Amino acid sequence: MTAVLVRDREPAGLRLRRVSGQVGWGILAWVVGIAFFLPVLWMLLTAFKPESAAQTWPPKFIFTPTLAQFRLVFSGWGPYVTHSLIATTVSTLLVLALGVPAAYALSVHPVPHWRDGLFFFISTKMLPIVAAIGPLYVLALKTHLLDSIWVLIILYTAMNLPVAIWLIRSFMLEVPKEMLEAAELDGAGRIREMTEVIMPVISPGLVSTALICVIFAWNELFLALNLTVTNAATLPMFLISSVPQEGLYLAHLSAAATVASVPVIIIGWIAQRSLVRGLSMGAIK
Amino acid sequence: MAGVKFVSASRVYAKDAPPAVDALDLDIKDGEFMVLVGPSGSGKTTALRMLAGLEPLDGGRVEIGEKDVTFVPPKDRDIAMVFQNYALYPSKTVAENMGFALKMQGVHKDERARRVREAARLLDLDDQLLGRKPKALSGGQRQRVAMGRAIVREPRVFLMDEPLSNLDAKLRVQTRSQIAELQRRLGITTVYVTHDQVEAMTMGHRVAVLAGGHLQQVDTPRHLYDNPVNQFVAGFIGSPAMNLQTVPLTEGGARLAGTTLPLPASVRTAAGQAGLKEIVLGIRPEHMHLADGTGPLAGEVMLVEELGADALLHVRLAEDHNLVVARTEGRKPPAPGQQVTFAVQPDDIFAFHPETGARLAG
Amino acid sequence: MTIIQDLAPPPEVEVRPRAVGRRERWQLRLPLLPALIYTIVVTQIPFLVTLWYSFQSYFWNTPAPAHFTGLSNYKTVFTNPAFRGSLVRSVVMTVTAVIVAMILGVFFAILLDRKFLGRSIVRTLIITPFLVMPVAAALVWAGPMLDPNFGLVNYLLQPFGVHHVAWLSSHALGSVILVMIWQWTPFMMLIVLAGLQSQPSDTLEAAKVDGAGAWATFGELTLPHLRPYIELGILLGSIYLVNVFDAVKAMTQGGPGTATTNLPYYLYEQVNNAFDIGGAAATGVVTVILTIIVATFALRMFARVFQFEEAGV
Repeated sequence: MTAVLVRDREPAGLRLRRVSGQVGWGILAWVVGIAFFLPVLWMLLTAFKPESAAQTWPPKFIFTPTLAQFRLVFSGWGPYVTHSLIATTVSTLLVLALGVPAAYALSVHPVPHWRDGLFFFISTKMLPIVAAIGPLYVLALKTHLLDSIWVLIILYTAMNLPVAIWLIRSFMLEVPKEMLEAAELDGAGRIREMTEVIMPVISPGLVSTALICVIFAWNELFLALNLTVTNAATLPMFLISSVPQEGLYLAHLSAAATVASVPVIIIGWIAQRSLVRGLSMGAIK
Repeated sequence: MAGVKFVSASRVYAKDAPPAVDALDLDIKDGEFMVLVGPSGSGKTTALRMLAGLEPLDGGRVEIGEKDVTFVPPKDRDIAMVFQNYALYPSKTVAENMGFALKMQGVHKDERARRVREAARLLDLDDQLLGRKPKALSGGQRQRVAMGRAIVREPRVFLMDEPLSNLDAKLRVQTRSQIAELQRRLGITTVYVTHDQVEAMTMGHRVAVLAGGHLQQVDTPRHLYDNPVNQFVAGFIGSPAMNLQTVPLTEGGARLAGTTLPLPASVRTAAGQAGLKEIVLGIRPEHMHLADGTGPLAGEVMLVEELGADALLHVRLAEDHNLVVARTEGRKPPAPGQQVTFAVQPDDIFAFHPETGARLAG
Repeated sequence: MTIIQDLAPPPEVEVRPRAVGRRERWQLRLPLLPALIYTIVVTQIPFLVTLWYSFQSYFWNTPAPAHFTGLSNYKTVFTNPAFRGSLVRSVVMTVTAVIVAMILGVFFAILLDRKFLGRSIVRTLIITPFLVMPVAAALVWAGPMLDPNFGLVNYLLQPFGVHHVAWLSSHALGSVILVMIWQWTPFMMLIVLAGLQSQPSDTLEAAKVDGAGAWATFGELTLPHLRPYIELGILLGSIYLVNVFDAVKAMTQGGPGTATTNLPYYLYEQVNNAFDIGGAAATGVVTVILTIIVATFALRMFARVFQFEEAGV
């Protein structure tokens, strides 16, 4: 069998360079990672501080943790988180309901001028919604939708639809052609093709798409800020309002920031690959 | 130009797993075309990559030109490699692909262009192809560019990892002879990996048969064919494969199809010494001669494969119902269902140990 | 057996020419219509309304109804230094953030492309900034990080001779850009990393055998391979970054003065502070026209970059 281990014959200089290179790389990566993550760590740390411990110089790393800030956040966030949940869930469902058939019409059995259709959708994403915010306000006012959860649902759906269509389309294009042809030979019509062939295959993709829509809707501030006040105020607005004009509440806002970010962080950690695909609208698999 | 030596070279991937390459000892002479052949998982590609420096060794050493190169990085080994999927640089033109190694060596632009053109000529690559990118080329053209990239370097050793496996059958046959011719012309030591034993037999000066990480036998194609050292080599080399059957031993020989086929005394002695009651009998299809009803081995033709010049008969033998393949003249082969008999020369009968597979020698 | 029975000849099938009739065409279009109509209604109507209002004088803090003023709003937009200033600031913020984020992204991607102990953990650490709610991230930077008296940054920079700097006052624009970079570098990294990992390994091995060292391999092979990914990252990043609002609102509210007022914030102020619907509308229209010009180039680039998805590079 194997005689003298090769490792023992490796020239000393080479071995040193090789091992130190590997270790050095790892150390560099860790340093960079931790440094980049530091603000998040600081946010988490500060969230457990009593306000007195958050406003010290030098900043404290050791302190007695407390859940007081979180209790404060949870006592105040009720309506805000409810509105966020409703706006996010309903708009995402609407996006899927509208986006799946549209993606179908732009991929599996493409309409003529499907390229124009795709580019129309993406162009709406490029035109800044901020440009129309004034008249949007007036429109919302006139249609009695101002400060109603529906104005957010409607606008979030429009905001996420283009991304979803591009993304779902990219998943549909991955359905093997042979599968579709076999179904056609078996006599499946359009609806059956969709429900029995395409949907099962793309369902993980639909989950990814839904996650991306949830992330964008959950985090959205501009529209919520301008078009809602109290009856439909969402979590991002809760955060803004937790920064009062008087006084500094560093610990409290850290707790609020943590709570608001946790759902998306967890989604992102679990679905990292879907994240890339979703953000690049399907370009990167 | 240099010889290559594997000295007890080993590669182990996982701690308790069997080695991918197990203590390989192989001596390749300067200018030789050595083919490493074997089924997938035999370790042939791993051995090649160890020679290239793309896989580290876990035991033993590798020498190029008498020098231990085990710890020398690939670029300093003065080798060139043709990869199975060609590994052409997609963002570079054909000329840039072929000249890349020279560029890395700091060779001047004009000298690079000259050598690239020369190699292109050698490989029948049109001038207009030189400016194209790999994705604009056909499979066969890409293969030639991959070869050109290796040739341009004028290395001491060529390494080729199944370069023909992605070509269609006709192109494969054509390119096979071109590669062999090229090697003859350039005289550079070549180590060639393939799973196709026909390629191995037609191209190599010598062929090394590997299985399960172990070297089974290294010899000229002729000797491998005529004198396989074990059952694996016997069954692997030659197409259609040698007929191998486990048969009982009797007084004076082995029992097949109700007859006793005589075995040489040395074989019988070796079998007796090993205490064997049965052996694996090997007879090549072309050594089963059709006899007009008078041969010792009788059987019924189940299937006839007409190849034109020859015909292959799939025959179910009498008594033990073993299925064998026999090669016969293509003109008027027997029909399916017909009863036929065969005769075999005693010299054409191989005997192998039923457990170890080793040849029971004469 | 190889003897093949003669099958009965195949039955006669009537071959109908497949003309795409009217009904078929509508069948194709139907699934697209709900999304299309919805998008057109929800996105185009507001712009039409914006267009209409841009020619009106309408202040919604006065009882006077909207009345036609022709191009006076537009004149104001083009002569107003505040608009030009916000435009310039938008460009500066976006270009700086995109470029720095991409450079860092490439660096991080290279770091993560090699195996080392705890690699997936480090990767998770690096992408977390991107997952933090933007307004939350901005608030955390504004407060616990950059506060002049209690902030972590001032504490960490003390050994370098930095003393209680009020970042949001003296380096407002830089601070906002910093947060933008911090949040979007992971996005760039993920895209470039996908590009690095899609490089076929045998090409890299061939380069090794051909004598290319690490730098040569990167410059000659990896960078050209990464080009479509980098382009995609810059393109998408620009689209997302030019619309950044949360960081400005949460950190500096556009200030000090107008130091950090970008276009989205400028529009927000026009509506909320100036109550000037007409003016906001005209600004909006001009913004849209500028965006269309830029977007036309961007769309063409988009088409080219997305082609690599179809070519299966």
